[in-house]
Amino acid sequence: MRTALQLGARGSARWLHPGAWWVWALGLATAASRTLNPLLLVLIIAVAGTVVSARKPEAPWARSFMFFAKLGAVIIVVRVLVQLIFGAAIGTTTLFTLPGLDLPEWMAGVRLGGPVTLESLLLAFYDGLRLATIIMCVGAANSLASPSRLLKSVPAALYEVGVSVVVALTFTPQLIADVTRVQSARHLRGRATRGPRAIAGAAMPVLEGALERSVILAAAMDSRGYGRRSDMSTQQKRINAGLLTFGLVAACIGTYGLVSAGTPWFLSAPMLLAGLGSSLLAISLSARNAVRSRYRPDPWWAPEWAVAGAGVAIAACFISAAWWLPSGFSTQVDPPTWPALPALAVIGLLLALTPAITAPEVPRMYALRASDRELAGASS
Amino acid sequence: MTPAVRIGKRSLLAILATSIIGIIAFSWPLFAAPDSAAVAHANDAPWLFALVVPLLLAVVLAQFTDGGMDAKAVALLGVLAAVVAAMRPLGGGAAGLEPIWVILVLGGRALGPGFGFSLGAVSLFASALMTGGVGPWLPFQMLGAAWVGMGAGLLPRASGKPELLMLAAYGAVAAFAFGLLLNLWFWPFTAGLPAAIAFEPGAPLGQNLLAWIHFTIVTSLGYDIPRAVLTVVLIMLAGPTILTALRRAARRANFGAVPTFEAAAS
Amino acid sequence: MIRFDHVTVTYPGHTRPVLHDVNLHLVEGELVLVVGRTGSGKSTLLQAINGLVPHFTGGTLIGDVSIDGRSTSTHPPRELADLVGVVPQDPASGFVADTVEEELAFGMECLGLRPDVMRRRVEETLDLLGLAELRNRPLLTLSAGQQQRVAIGAVLAAHPKVLVLDEPTSALDPGAAEEILSALQRLVHDLGMTVVMAEHRLERVVQYADRIIVVPGDAQPLLIGTPQEVMREAPIAPPVVELGRIAGWTPLPLSVRDARRAAGPLRALLVGQPPPLRAVPTHTANDTLVEAVDLTVRYGSHSALRGISLSVHRGEVVALMGRNGAGKSTLLNAMVGLRTGDSGRITTNGKDSSTLKGTELLQSVGLVPQVPGDLLEATTVADECRAADRDAHVEHGTARALLALLAPEILDSTHPRDLSEGQRLLLALAVVLAARPPLLLLDEPTRGLDYPTKLRLAVVLRDLASAGHGILLATHDVELAAEVATRVIVLAEGEIVADGTTADVVVSSPMFAPQVAKVLAPHPWLTVSDVIATIGPLILRTHAPISGGAVG
Repeated sequence: MRTALQLGARGSARWLHPGAWWVWALGLATAASRTLNPLLLVLIIAVAGTVVSARKPEAPWARSFMFFAKLGAVIIVVRVLVQLIFGAAIGTTTLFTLPGLDLPEWMAGVRLGGPVTLESLLLAFYDGLRLATIIMCVGAANSLASPSRLLKSVPAALYEVGVSVVVALTFTPQLIADVTRVQSARHLRGRATRGPRAIAGAAMPVLEGALERSVILAAAMDSRGYGRRSDMSTQQKRINAGLLTFGLVAACIGTYGLVSAGTPWFLSAPMLLAGLGSSLLAISLSARNAVRSRYRPDPWWAPEWAVAGAGVAIAACFISAAWWLPSGFSTQVDPPTWPALPALAVIGLLLALTPAITAPEVPRMYALRASDRELAGASS
Repeated sequence: MTPAVRIGKRSLLAILATSIIGIIAFSWPLFAAPDSAAVAHANDAPWLFALVVPLLLAVVLAQFTDGGMDAKAVALLGVLAAVVAAMRPLGGGAAGLEPIWVILVLGGRALGPGFGFSLGAVSLFASALMTGGVGPWLPFQMLGAAWVGMGAGLLPRASGKPELLMLAAYGAVAAFAFGLLLNLWFWPFTAGLPAAIAFEPGAPLGQNLLAWIHFTIVTSLGYDIPRAVLTVVLIMLAGPTILTALRRAARRANFGAVPTFEAAAS
Repeated sequence: MIRFDHVTVTYPGHTRPVLHDVNLHLVEGELVLVVGRTGSGKSTLLQAINGLVPHFTGGTLIGDVSIDGRSTSTHPPRELADLVGVVPQDPASGFVADTVEEELAFGMECLGLRPDVMRRRVEETLDLLGLAELRNRPLLTLSAGQQQRVAIGAVLAAHPKVLVLDEPTSALDPGAAEEILSALQRLVHDLGMTVVMAEHRLERVVQYADRIIVVPGDAQPLLIGTPQEVMREAPIAPPVVELGRIAGWTPLPLSVRDARRAAGPLRALLVGQPPPLRAVPTHTANDTLVEAVDLTVRYGSHSALRGISLSVHRGEVVALMGRNGAGKSTLLNAMVGLRTGDSGRITTNGKDSSTLKGTELLQSVGLVPQVPGDLLEATTVADECRAADRDAHVEHGTARALLALLAPEILDSTHPRDLSEGQRLLLALAVVLAARPPLLLLDEPTRGLDYPTKLRLAVVLRDLASAGHGILLATHDVELAAEVATRVIVLAEGEIVADGTTADVVVSSPMFAPQVAKVLAPHPWLTVSDVIATIGPLILRTHAPISGGAVG
């Protein structure tokens, strides 16, 4: 596996704030969730794909868009197959008829097969396509937003957890190298190096080594000032505790309100949101007593606004258009019609495409060479 | 032994609230009342919960770290999360053969419920970041794994063979239940299924429960059973060694070390 | 700057203290060397400086440790981080971030420094330690020497007044070690920093120290003094010092330069003396244990070995030397079939090396890898030995008996991970030797070993060679090579640049010459014991000669 990592800026190239990519991608996903129009869905995928290919770094995680695309394809195929096998037919254009089969009672007495209509297949395809599109939008964010940069931007309250995730991310490749080394050692003892037994045999020394390392790491972190805190006033502590307690209880009530009947409107979603807001406020307030600063945090400049704005724009276009003229957003299948292309949706799509230009170029990556790995192996 | 992560009053509250909301977020398809908001917007409800759950997990983890988690716990958490992340590809995702549950169960057992909870959440998050697998399913996987780790830490005292059997049984139940829960989360997304296995928003509990059980039998049992079996096998085979290693590490890390200072007698 | 006031440290669960009634006062701008064998309490002393002992480890500290007026009883390590920088023994294990720049900033982030201050200090630190080129590199891709420099930089960026280092050069080749030591000296001389450093490799560091603290172990009182004072009496000393002691030079030389100035008469004495004869074993063709012919090994487009031809015979001890990355490990791996050659051939015990496996491999060749612990999988020493007997299909108890010879103090019930580095090496050696392989390969065997253990290893290697084993050791340790090797092979960029008897290869080499050879050049005497053997009777005066041979 060729691992590539960041080397440094060239010209105006820099890492876009990962949050901006996520806002953009979630905006696209929201837009996709508003429509069953296959043309719009395909265009959304095209937009996501274009931007990914324009601004994707050369890192292993950046290849995940393809993985998500495959997942999307699987979703569509499964959805259509389910329709073929189980589907109750709608519409009148029968394409062919599958032999019917009644499953036994313990399998829910499902009836399989039967006539297959064009309308029901189209509906299944559109439905699968919508879910696949949403998934691929998320995949675009996975490809574009650097995980280590994302961790640098975690809110202060989650700093410790962020550190442990950074440790996990940097330590995993080393662990895999350790496994290789220990397997070589097994060869030296004349034992098998392949198969489950070999993996099990190699696992223990690697795990032991990892655990030992954690103690050394903790001592190093302690010695370097990790976890310094200043004292908080009793009053502040009380306020935080109050906010947290209120917030959590309110969130529970709000969630319950969402799923139970006859709740007054303010005891459902608004209550949940208020509760969440209050809890988040509490943890961010209590994070303030940590003595800590950030080295070169990712800035949020004009390109970030432009990218995030593009995501918000397409979501807004789709939501409002779906509200004003719902006809263009749910394509008719019975009888099948060619999907419409609402103007507002086109505007939204074009806006969502802008990050391919407005986002700064990705910095060049440091490609791990074989000789580096030799060195890393020799020094670990 | 001192647990690796202390659970204070507020952490406990946060865990309770998150678990309650988490249970609702998983199980609303079964329990939601016919004229509730969730059923009225059955298409959007899963997405709403996918936003709510991670925020609540953040609150719990922030509470843990606010006083209960020192450098030792953070380092151990990072290292074990790396172990889990490195193990995930081993199963190849084939037929639910995920060896990671061994680490989550034994980690929670050896290092306590608070650590188990954090390990479950952090390790799945880290491995998703590494492989670019962040998606709407992630918060639910994190919550499920966190419960598994925490539950292992809450099991009653035992040692030797009984402990191993208890852990194996727990591992089987936990790995199986994880599959069922994730299945339940995924269920509302499936459309076009025949009525007997389809989610019908607002239908009576009995009907949806039956449909869900049938849905599970038809779709995911082939994953859930191998996962549970593999977990049992691994715990029975490697459990004692891994547990010893984890306990040695905990002893060496000396969580909650109490330094004593005395003046020199002069 | 650092004050220990009647300090006694006892770990939890122990009744005997590790350190007993220690009094120390180190001043600003001092470079202090802490020596003592593994397990003597050296690390405890270092860790007590920033309060890791007892805050992190638990235990009881009687008395008081204070740094620049701050007592560790009231300040846990994190509250001393701006004052004391600690570099752990294995720097890579202490890294938190993923790139060099982030790692340098981590400590400052914890201290809450302003972003502009952090930015400036990161740049300064990059320059100070020559890391500017590496700033965006992932830490995983750095060489050991670079990692060590980053680890030092990472604590320096917080501008501490005290720097504590645990064996900073033990894993490095001579060149990288020089770089680290000169960087440290610059910190002491230019910035007035107090540096406390533990190190086994006295020959590298003793000349830089202002004072030396000897930790004798078993809670015995510490010995503190100037290097001259301490070295005159110390049971372990680098070769130049030993040479000075037997030749009766005053002041006692600590560096090659000092010794060379004083060595004029000694060199004169050696003129006309027959150089020491090293028993170079005579060998026949069927003595050949491993033979490489025109061997090339590539990693991708990079050639690790280019057309290597060499052979090792019974009774030989061959030292394989060269920079990190020169291809030493690759060559060893090729001999045990872990790497296959891309062209040329390599045979071990008459068979194609890459086809060897299982018992046949064990009975042909044994390799002790750089991290000997990799070989060990069991949870007790006894289990490990039993597993070795099973693997090798030899009589039960073989490995245990070998271990009893190599390291009698190791107990059956100990977990291999709880052994010291040296004990782990000896256990791995016993495990490998259980199958009686005629050829023994060792990769960097002296990493992290203290003097007594190294001495023991040298004796073991010589005994094995005289028992007919062929030994090939890849090492940076020129003193060990001078002590035990009959032949030296130097690799550079995957090619053999020198292959000859030890004296022929090392005497003229600035990199690979042992200290005695540097002092006595152009005369080909390599070790103190060689010198004693030749001229002992001539100069043996009032100075009592040292008891054992000097290694390392």
